[in-house]
Amino acid sequence: MPGTEPSFRSLAQQAEKQPPCQAHCANSGDVRGWMGVIAQHEKNGLTRDQAFDEAWRKIARMNPLPATIARICPHPCEDSCIRSDKDGAVSINALERFLGDWALSRTLPLPSVIPRLYEDSIGVIGSGPASLSFAYQMARRGYGVTVYERGESIGGMLRRAIPEYRLPHDVLDAEVKRLLKVGITLVNNTDVGTTIGLEELRDRHDVVFLGVGAQATRRLGIPGEDGPGVTAGIDYLRERKRHSQTLGGQRVFVVGGGNTAIDAARSALRDGAQVTLLYRRSETEMPAIAAEVDDARAEGVEFRFLVSPTRIVRDGDKLTGIEIRPMRLGEPDAQGRRRPLPGNGQPQTLAADRVLIAVSQAPDWHGLEWILDDRNSLHADQDGRLDKGLWAGGDDRGAGIAGNAIAQGRLAAESAHAELRGTAAPRMQAHKKVVQRERVQHDHYTNCFRGERPRLPENQRLTNPDAEVDQTIGPEQAYREATRCMSCGLCFDCQQCFMYCNAAGFTRLADTGPGNYFILALEACEGCGKCVELCPCGYLELRDTEASLP
Amino acid sequence: MIKANSSALKDGSRIAVIGAGPSGSMFSFFFLNMAELIGLQADVDLYEPRQFCHRGPSGCNHCGGIVSESLVQRLATEGINLPNSIVQRGIESYTLHMDVGDVEIATPLSEKRIAAIYRGHGPRESSPEAADSFDGFLQELAQEKGATLIRRLVTGIKRDDEKMTVHCADQTSADYDLVVVASGVNSRLLDIFESDMPSFRQPDRTKTFICEFHLGAELINKTFGPSMHVFLLDIPRLEFAALIPKGEYVTLCLLGDDIDEALMTRFFESPEVRNCFPENMIPPHVCHCYPRINIQPSRPIYDDRLVMIGDSGSTRLFKDGIGAAYRTSKAAAKTVVFHGVDADSFKQHYAPLCRRIDHDNLVGKFVFNVAGLVQKARFARRGILRMTRSEQQRSKGPRRMSGVLWDLFSGSASYTNVFLRTLHPAYFGSLIWNLVAGNLRGGTGTKDHEREGEGSHARH
Repeated sequence: MPGTEPSFRSLAQQAEKQPPCQAHCANSGDVRGWMGVIAQHEKNGLTRDQAFDEAWRKIARMNPLPATIARICPHPCEDSCIRSDKDGAVSINALERFLGDWALSRTLPLPSVIPRLYEDSIGVIGSGPASLSFAYQMARRGYGVTVYERGESIGGMLRRAIPEYRLPHDVLDAEVKRLLKVGITLVNNTDVGTTIGLEELRDRHDVVFLGVGAQATRRLGIPGEDGPGVTAGIDYLRERKRHSQTLGGQRVFVVGGGNTAIDAARSALRDGAQVTLLYRRSETEMPAIAAEVDDARAEGVEFRFLVSPTRIVRDGDKLTGIEIRPMRLGEPDAQGRRRPLPGNGQPQTLAADRVLIAVSQAPDWHGLEWILDDRNSLHADQDGRLDKGLWAGGDDRGAGIAGNAIAQGRLAAESAHAELRGTAAPRMQAHKKVVQRERVQHDHYTNCFRGERPRLPENQRLTNPDAEVDQTIGPEQAYREATRCMSCGLCFDCQQCFMYCNAAGFTRLADTGPGNYFILALEACEGCGKCVELCPCGYLELRDTEASLP
Repeated sequence: MIKANSSALKDGSRIAVIGAGPSGSMFSFFFLNMAELIGLQADVDLYEPRQFCHRGPSGCNHCGGIVSESLVQRLATEGINLPNSIVQRGIESYTLHMDVGDVEIATPLSEKRIAAIYRGHGPRESSPEAADSFDGFLQELAQEKGATLIRRLVTGIKRDDEKMTVHCADQTSADYDLVVVASGVNSRLLDIFESDMPSFRQPDRTKTFICEFHLGAELINKTFGPSMHVFLLDIPRLEFAALIPKGEYVTLCLLGDDIDEALMTRFFESPEVRNCFPENMIPPHVCHCYPRINIQPSRPIYDDRLVMIGDSGSTRLFKDGIGAAYRTSKAAAKTVVFHGVDADSFKQHYAPLCRRIDHDNLVGKFVFNVAGLVQKARFARRGILRMTRSEQQRSKGPRRMSGVLWDLFSGSASYTNVFLRTLHPAYFGSLIWNLVAGNLRGGTGTKDHEREGEGSHARH
């Protein structure tokens, strides 16, 4: 047929794509998958409660601390949600948190293989999110795991640094307790590098995971920094958790623009201080979660951007002020953030009582320096492997969000498991193609505005300093929110292809589940492309790209 | 059985119309109009998940897109005035292409013009202003009358003694006093229906082909003009082929018995077809589909609280599906408003129309079989060509062959009417004369227009 071949060669096919929420999740969470379990529960023979349980298990297999992580994650998944082009992103974070709390309230056990399947023994150094993630992933596969913690209690930065108003300790405690039940032995008060050597541990265990985190604080390097009245933000937060700090009535300056700085500022406010945050770039460049910045401002933190401390001023031993100078923004750096440069104008001294420095943290390698390379950093493979039987993950490989630590622990475990079992190393996230935003048809989905989570009113926050600001949504709202998921890139049983294929090429499967409802008989396809055009979620596509489709 | 009067709808009755194609929308429109007349307050839910504002097959109800002027005017008397933005091009003539030559048949009377329309929002990748949707227009009309458009896909209809229940893909369901099925034959709803209700037999279907060529308005004016090009070619299983100019595009429509690629290849290779296109080249098409058409009505076509209209029930063979949708939807609406929604009411007041359509289709099948014989017989084609040409050349006198062909191509008249006219002695006599004269050397008498086919050289 002269001139008519191209579109005849384009036939429809079923092709799962990755949704942007998953592509943007630090831990590659299968958001669409667990949303689908809830939203499509009736089609697949589950009650709503069973669907909540099952959805939680789907999350937990990837992240054993959902209630914890959901409370602190900056949820980049929501920023990328295609529904935000329509009537607001799906409240993925609120829903994950709901499921986390749901599982705790129903005391659901973590999915795992018990009893132990393998003889190999696993040692984990540190008990932060990366270590716990690694420990869980190994334990659930049937390994015996021992966690070495240098302090009393486990949780790492989750426990030490995150303020109570963001993450109540009972939530963390409950999730950690449940985690230990999958067959993990905890050895505390053991500081690897001092009380026990790393080599000794490596002799004791077939695999050792290094998750020491970033405990050392970086400094500004300005005159007067070493002296009374100046504290590292992280140390302040840690001390405050022990209720041994109070800043009541003091003028507190927090230096930094990350989450620790914001946590320190909001905590100081709750301690009764008058708080100003100093940041050397502008608000756009702040690495802190934007919503936390907004909350801090709403609660009363004063922000001063484009200023940098140059000196701490004291009268004798008493801190009396902080000298700052103006900055300006230069060209963007490698991460695309504009560099701060000294600006015009005179330094200025602000009256102060306390200064909290929260500019960043680094790993504390005491006793373990020998494993670092010449540039004083860990030289790990993409999956965190350092050496035979030795993996690392979390902030000791570079600072990141907790979700990133969970992901590194999980990936290291997958790699270690493969090495121990002599199977091929798992390919690093062989990602499916991400669904094209414009292929998702907003007008197919009924308008349904994003449900917001309940929050503690601003005027009650400072008087209840430990009360959680964000609260958990209820099951009705959780279900409604799950039904808002557009299932980008995966069949959710809208049935239009089945119903409108002129050739009746789609057959319903006997066993259905999210993504698994119909099979297309390829030989039946007449290439009209109607099903592809109708498919609201971008699951169906045309083979052969000469097709004249958008 | 429920008595007709006891099954009459009451205030607050609820009607579900499945499908907002022409029959579904027109039913809603007529029903609400008539109900208003007698002061009946009933709700109409019009189910249609697809959007006719989408371009390409997803927003289209796949058909050639021809509405005869007589239907346009009948709709106007009902208060359905097609706006100019919907009529892509007024078709003023037919050009009949055969291997023995072609002839242009002018519109028999000015009111017999036809309108070319798009059922959806135009071909894939067409510009937004290219076309307004015929189906979309009717759907809006129904909504303006008070029908509630429900953008859900119906996946099942269940009945019990009291009511009908409509189930949707999103797991919602609703109860109704009457379900009007207007889902056409290009949806699986009737398959599902058949498996749910053993007594129901869905319509027999056959496969057709429709595609769109983008040529641009200027080139279309030059090469096609305001004329629909119809082909009588000796290709087995091909009953009807037409090129219909519409705005920036030309629609090709092939009807017959299971149109497939082999048949299409023969069609596209025919010189008669190639010669219609600029530089004798078939351009790539931008949009194509193989819609199914109804060739044998569903049975039964009604039951208590249930009626099938448009293509889901009885429709005209090959042509004028929209005309049949108009007639069946109006008859069904009338029955529902003035008689009742039980099987007996439909039997008395709706079924007779469907029977008339079915009978006419039997005649239609015969007429197309005769046309098939003509396709195969060169001498017959010559006779028809000669008769039509001479009719078109004279300004007075009856144009019997032209009229028969026009009505057959456009579907403007019933097949029975067309057939009866071919039995007229004057038609018959003229045809015999032209058969003889057309097959004698130099006997066409219309050399100025003639384009002899390859076969004619064999006679030399």
